[in-house]
Amino acid sequence: MSNKIEDWRKRERDYPIVTGKALYTNDINLPNMLYCTILGSNYAHARIKSINVNKALEIPGVINIITGAELMDKINPLPTNSDYSKLGWHWRIPKVYPLAIDKVRFVGEPIAAIVATNSYIAEDALEMIDVEYEPLPVVVNPEKAMEKDAPLLYEEWGDNIQAYIKFIHGDIEKSFSKADKVLRVQLKEQRYSGFPIEPRCCVADYDERRNELRVWLPNQTPYQSRRYIASVLNMPESHVKVIVPNVGGGFGNRIVPYKEVIPCILSLILKKPIKWFESRRENFLSQTHQRDLKWDVEAAFKNDGRILSIRGRFIMDYGVEGTNRDAGSPAIVPAVRSIPSAYKLEAIQIDAYGVVTNKAPYGAYRGYGKDKGNRLIERVLNIAAREFNLSPEEIRFKNFIQPNEFPYRQITGYLYDSGNYPKVLKRALQLLNIEYWREQQRLLRERNRYIGIGLAFMVEPAGASIPYSIFTGIESAKVSLFTDGSIHVYSNTIDIGQHSKVAIVSVVAENLGVKPEDIKVIMGDSDIVGLGPWSSRGVIYGISAVVKATKALKLKILKVAAKILNENFENLYIKDGVIYSKSNSEKQISIRDLANRVYFFPGPQMTLTQDMLEKGETTLEAIASWFSPTTIKELSSVYTTFCCGADAAVIEVDLETGKVKVLKYVAVHDVGKIIDLASVEAQVQGGIAQGIGGVLFEELIYNEDGQLLTTTFTDYLMPTAIDIPEIEIDHIETPSPVTETGAKGMGEGPIIIPPEVIISAVEDALAPFKVRISETPLKPERIWRLLKCVT
Amino acid sequence: MSKKVSITVKVNGEVFKADVESRMLLIDFLRDVLGLTGTKKGCDEGKCGACTILFNGSAVKSCLMFAVQADGSEIITIEGLSKEGKLHPLQEEFMKNIAIQCGYCTAGMIMVAYNLLKLYPKINEDEIRKGISGNLCRCTGYVNIVKAILSAAHRCEK
Repeated sequence: MSNKIEDWRKRERDYPIVTGKALYTNDINLPNMLYCTILGSNYAHARIKSINVNKALEIPGVINIITGAELMDKINPLPTNSDYSKLGWHWRIPKVYPLAIDKVRFVGEPIAAIVATNSYIAEDALEMIDVEYEPLPVVVNPEKAMEKDAPLLYEEWGDNIQAYIKFIHGDIEKSFSKADKVLRVQLKEQRYSGFPIEPRCCVADYDERRNELRVWLPNQTPYQSRRYIASVLNMPESHVKVIVPNVGGGFGNRIVPYKEVIPCILSLILKKPIKWFESRRENFLSQTHQRDLKWDVEAAFKNDGRILSIRGRFIMDYGVEGTNRDAGSPAIVPAVRSIPSAYKLEAIQIDAYGVVTNKAPYGAYRGYGKDKGNRLIERVLNIAAREFNLSPEEIRFKNFIQPNEFPYRQITGYLYDSGNYPKVLKRALQLLNIEYWREQQRLLRERNRYIGIGLAFMVEPAGASIPYSIFTGIESAKVSLFTDGSIHVYSNTIDIGQHSKVAIVSVVAENLGVKPEDIKVIMGDSDIVGLGPWSSRGVIYGISAVVKATKALKLKILKVAAKILNENFENLYIKDGVIYSKSNSEKQISIRDLANRVYFFPGPQMTLTQDMLEKGETTLEAIASWFSPTTIKELSSVYTTFCCGADAAVIEVDLETGKVKVLKYVAVHDVGKIIDLASVEAQVQGGIAQGIGGVLFEELIYNEDGQLLTTTFTDYLMPTAIDIPEIEIDHIETPSPVTETGAKGMGEGPIIIPPEVIISAVEDALAPFKVRISETPLKPERIWRLLKCVT
Repeated sequence: MSKKVSITVKVNGEVFKADVESRMLLIDFLRDVLGLTGTKKGCDEGKCGACTILFNGSAVKSCLMFAVQADGSEIITIEGLSKEGKLHPLQEEFMKNIAIQCGYCTAGMIMVAYNLLKLYPKINEDEIRKGISGNLCRCTGYVNIVKAILSAAHRCEK
């Protein structure tokens, strides 16, 4: 990365942040703005008998209060974000309104919304609304929810199964008949989510004169969010504009603005700007959750440690639903289809259930579903390694897809673009110095200290294009050259913390031959067609579209320059914003002078070629869109690039307390061609920290009544600086043949690996006690109980 | 409805007088009354540290104080850290070490680090990790934040 790109990053991206000038949604204050709070249900499952708002309305400063029943005729229900019933699958879509109408199904479900002159008064009013509930039986355990006489969340369904898919890939019976050994593996992962430090926030401003609603919100996909909001409000999309200022973290949690539509409705009703900024408690209660799943499978092996196939059952707990308030339900598909990961399997067969319970809705969180299959196979392999007396690396080397087998069609349908899995794992073993630590382990055990070494691998399917969902594969970019030589790039690959702006500037500067300081990036606007960052698709779709548009603009510029300089088109190149002839150094023109001539003297002076004039190509701008070539032919391909990674760690378990301390952590990733090393490494570090948080600390705990017990950062333990070790990183680069730059999507990969690294390390540390782990998080209490054989 | 109280506060070197509701939190006073929105709100209950400011020379979480408690005090926020356009070494090192991802925790991190460097000029990595453990970051894994603070400490020491 050049110094000039570094300067750009500092000046354009980071300077406003370190000086406190960067604009986040809550920093936006409009004239005559009012404040909104949203009352959530106290019950996990109940009928609403009545809502009395009279006392609340008497509070001076309270402007208006609305309830679901009042709104019903004025708005549409929340649109669905995925409908796989069109694929013939069991896929149910509930009718959900932004505010509950007659029944609540989780604690925190929005019931009423208050508008007041300031946020304090709006909060006072929350206390004064009287809701009469008729409590209903609650179910928070998905297996209980599947029982015949379980309380029903949606009576009309007759059961609590929102999704059921029988995945059959390969001949499972035949494969199992060849097995020397069958292992049973159970793995339960707790409920947790991203919880960005910036809570949800929305400023909605309806302008009656123009019949236009402007909405500012931290969001990953304003183009889709506009569709969502317009649909609820029954407004034409062209009359709704969603603008995304700085975003305080995304992690998949900011895809669908289900609660943010409430301030939008209020702004439409009151014709005033409305701000909603949620409390952290509200965030824990009603932001969408993730993980919360259980695998129960059998894995067939040959005696030499080769894996043949996996079959079994998978249950995901969707909470109240996963199709309308977010797009969590579809995660069940990559959860299963990513099982084969880096390995050659013959078959998998999984009965997958998405079950509804009285908990918060299910959404996207970094990893989405890919984490789930990857973690299962890694758990299976680590258990098998122990059974067959192999090291964890040996069993992987035996089963890896080999470098000469790409492109590789995985049995679940994915088309792997490229990779070198053995090389990546070997490098991780070196980086950790695994033999040294194995020796240390022996020595320390003699002194009653229990350290363990863990490792795991992953393949990240990235850049999704999923039919019948909001996750389609569209993306566009526009690159324009202005008369002063400055360049505007329009792309909705929003910078939610992953430095996508820097990657964009980097590829435009390189492909066009201009100085980074002349480039400006415009993003986060629903008028730009493009879906934004999720599914690690930024460098796949977003950057590919930008590169295509940049090359198209360059072609236009060179065509004009060829005419002006009376030179062959192929004989020209652009460097630092100046077009030169390769053979005659006297022949040159800056892009600024060129742009000036094109815009002010296009015709009679014949700056443009005859051909360009006839075609009406008189502007120096180019629009390009990009689509994944791997997903065109096969419906099941879905993903575009497949980066990989191997992590290894050394941990120590304190036998007295059960506390796990991570002593050393190394990560080797192959993300294809690296566009910006610093941001790739930052992604890896942050993803690993989230993965460690997920396996050791974070847990959303519901009691039997459906009350969430973890609604502050004191109860929900997000890792702090003392919990995360120094992380050593290295890279292998195997370029992707399918993207414009050779880069692969990699944002989610880093969170996928750490849980199995830590689980296997803890089992390794406690091998003398034969501790077996099948459930996370590995809080000290759980480990202590495992050690004492107490449940 | 609570009574209004007159307060005088020196913020980033400038004296402000204002009538505030007695229940108004200091963070809301800074953000909504003075318009200093660089201080961020992440939890409103003292758990995330995004709203950390310097209050009479000590790092405090401004969501845990009422504005009226700040009467007569001296406050520095992220906006007041650079002097005459020159950035503080912490601000420079956060940029240089890619310690900023989404940027929402950054102001609080820099303010708490500022206090740490003032109290412990020879601070080491472990002490930095302990010192910032009241501030949450969801993006970085803290790796680059710790590096940035360590580099700034070395520079400040010289």
